[in-house]
This record gives sequence, structure tokens and C-alpha cells, in this order.
Amino acid sequence: MRYVLMLSLIPAAIYAQAVPDFSGVYYPINPFGANALGRGPAAGKQPPAAGKAPAATGKEKGPPPRPTQSAPLSDGSQGRSPDAPSLTPQYLAKWEMISKSRIAGSSDYDNTAKCLPPGMPAMMSMAYGMEIMQNKDKITFFSELNDALRRVYLDGRKPTQKILDDPTYAGYSTGHWEGETLVVDTVALHENSFIEGFTPHSDAMTVKERIRFQSPGLLEDRITVTDPKALTKPWDTVKTYRKASSGNDELREFACPEGLGDAK
Amino acid sequence: MRARFIAFSALLGIALFNATPGLAHHSNVAFEVTKVVTITGVVKAFEWRNPHTWVILTVDDGKGGKVDWAVEGRAPGVLLRAGWTKNSLQPGEMISVDMSPAKDGSKTGLVARVIKADGTILPNAGPAQQ
Repeated sequence: MRYVLMLSLIPAAIYAQAVPDFSGVYYPINPFGANALGRGPAAGKQPPAAGKAPAATGKEKGPPPRPTQSAPLSDGSQGRSPDAPSLTPQYLAKWEMISKSRIAGSSDYDNTAKCLPPGMPAMMSMAYGMEIMQNKDKITFFSELNDALRRVYLDGRKPTQKILDDPTYAGYSTGHWEGETLVVDTVALHENSFIEGFTPHSDAMTVKERIRFQSPGLLEDRITVTDPKALTKPWDTVKTYRKASSGNDELREFACPEGLGDAK
Repeated sequence: MRARFIAFSALLGIALFNATPGLAHHSNVAFEVTKVVTITGVVKAFEWRNPHTWVILTVDDGKGGKVDWAVEGRAPGVLLRAGWTKNSLQPGEMISVDMSPAKDGSKTGLVARVIKADGTILPNAGPAQQ
């Protein structure tokens, strides 16, 4: 009896030693680039936290300079960045059509403005923070932005035909550990989401991720997006997240539909 | 009775609509995000709700009258981490709002930061999160 009990503890002990624990709250490092959220081109200086501005001692003193932006520019008016996904002509035309709509100020192609989930892989930007819940069989990623969830099954199950026939925003993710790296494959993604920003994709898109700690508390997600219809070649990107410190490690309810009633 | 109820509902609807002119949920693309201007006025209401907060501000129109601006701010979760609370702005207080104007020319904007009368700065993002 005692031996049986000891044997049954062995797998748990091996698991505990063999794989890292990603559980916790994280904030992204530069989710939109260094100039995001009105941080302006002021040499990468962070805006002041809430608090009193330095007392004015003369005309030259005053509040810190006015921000130059209120949000990242996200209408495509500056064209596509060289490191953006390389689109086939059909999907580039779609992107240009969406860009035109956004430049005109329309929210028609903004899923998050409609309280829809950001979807994979865009949701891994985790602009408002991410919480990871992990056990032996499943790892769950929660995004504060739009209260979005994705689950990665680690118990060896594979997507069935029924799953493949029922695509979703987050898709269906299965993963396994290669040493201290979590390798995740995501399939069953429908077309009504974006790769990043408003870059469109087809229902043939699949996503591969390699997730690991770069160093203690610094999590890295190396993402490869493959889409034979929309992309001329697979697209690689890397997201990094810093684990929240104590006192700043609680995400808030988003409840997007609270303000949806009067959406335009 | 039913007609009276409908009439009352219609009046209530108009009253609510008028209470928050221009208040509608937008994408950031509705605003000229790379342009920031400052308006100064008296807080009429501060709506702490998702997905965006709202500041309703009564501003001098420069012609001896008053005009209400509805300025859209970031979500409560983001603002909490930037140092705001649900009670950061009180009706009746004078504030300056640095904001990006709407592309459609309406009296709405997207908050870049708020400065209170005592000099307190409420930014729309905290220092890098840790």
C-alpha cells in the first residue's frame, strides 16, 4: 500500500521538477511599440504616475510637456510596417479597404470596439495585462482587454473533426513541453479576427508558439503564423511580458458590454 | 395609460440622451490620435465604466455661452494602474483635459491626460507595468 502511494506521487514530483510554472499576472513590454499610449517621442521617457506636478517656481516651470498622442496611430495611414505580415494581393486589398474605413473614423472593422474577443494571435499582445492559470493538463491565458480567454490542453488530446469544423476567435490550442519551453499549436480559427492590428487572415491560418522564461519573471512568446491563403510566407513575432510585482498583480473586470448599449 | 407610459418613456429617453451628448463607444480610429489640444472647463459628470470612461465637461464657447464636451478615456482597469480612481473627478471641479479631437468635428475627444486645478496630473497610462 505504501509503495503504491509513493509510486502515485512520482509523476507529480517529476512534473513539479520538470516544467516551469508560468502562473501569475503579467504586463506586456511595449505591446504597441515604444511610442504607444501617448508616450510621445520624448526620448522614451515614461509619463509621470499620478501625483502633483512639481511646484512652479517660475515661468519656465510647469507641468510636464503635453503628450503628443492620445493613443497609438492604428488606421494604417502610415502604410504597412516592413516587419508586418506579408500579405497576398487579395488580403492586401482587404487590408487597404479596412485602412480606408479606419482613416475615415469608422469602427466597422474594430472587433474590440464591438466587445468581441481579440482572437488569436492578436490577443497575445495582452495590452491591458494577462493572467496565466496552469496545471498539469491545461494552461489558461486570460486577457483583461475584453475579458478574453484561451485554453491550451496539455493532456495529449488532439482537435477532432468536430472542433475543426467549428472555428472560433481563440481557436483550439494543444501544447506539450520541450524541456522548459511550452510548444503550442492553435487551429480552428475563423476569419473574423486579425493577425495583429487589422491585418486579415483566412480560415486556413494556424499558429505555433514557443513560450518560455527568458529570465526569472520575464516571459517570452515566439509566435509563428502560417496562412497559405493570406500570407506569402510565415510571419514571426515575439511578445514579452513582465511578471507583476506584489501589489500590482490583480487584473480588473472589463465587462465591455457595459458601454455597448450606445455603441456607434 | 399605455400611451402615457410610452410618452413618459420617450421623455425619459430624451432626457438621458441630452444628459450625455455625444456619448457613444468608439474605436480609437474615430479620433485624430496624433493631435492633442487642451480644453478647460467644469466637470459635469465622470462616468467610470467599461470599455471606456467618460468625462463630460462644460466649457466656455468663447461667445459668452457654454458648451458640453464628452471626452472618452481609457478603461477603468488601465486608469487604476495609472493612479486614477472612480472618484478622481468630481462634478463641479475645474480641470484641463489634453485630448485628441474627433475626426467628425463633434464635441468629443480622446483623453491624453487630465490636469486638476491643484496641478495633479492624471495620465492615461502608468509607468511601465511591473
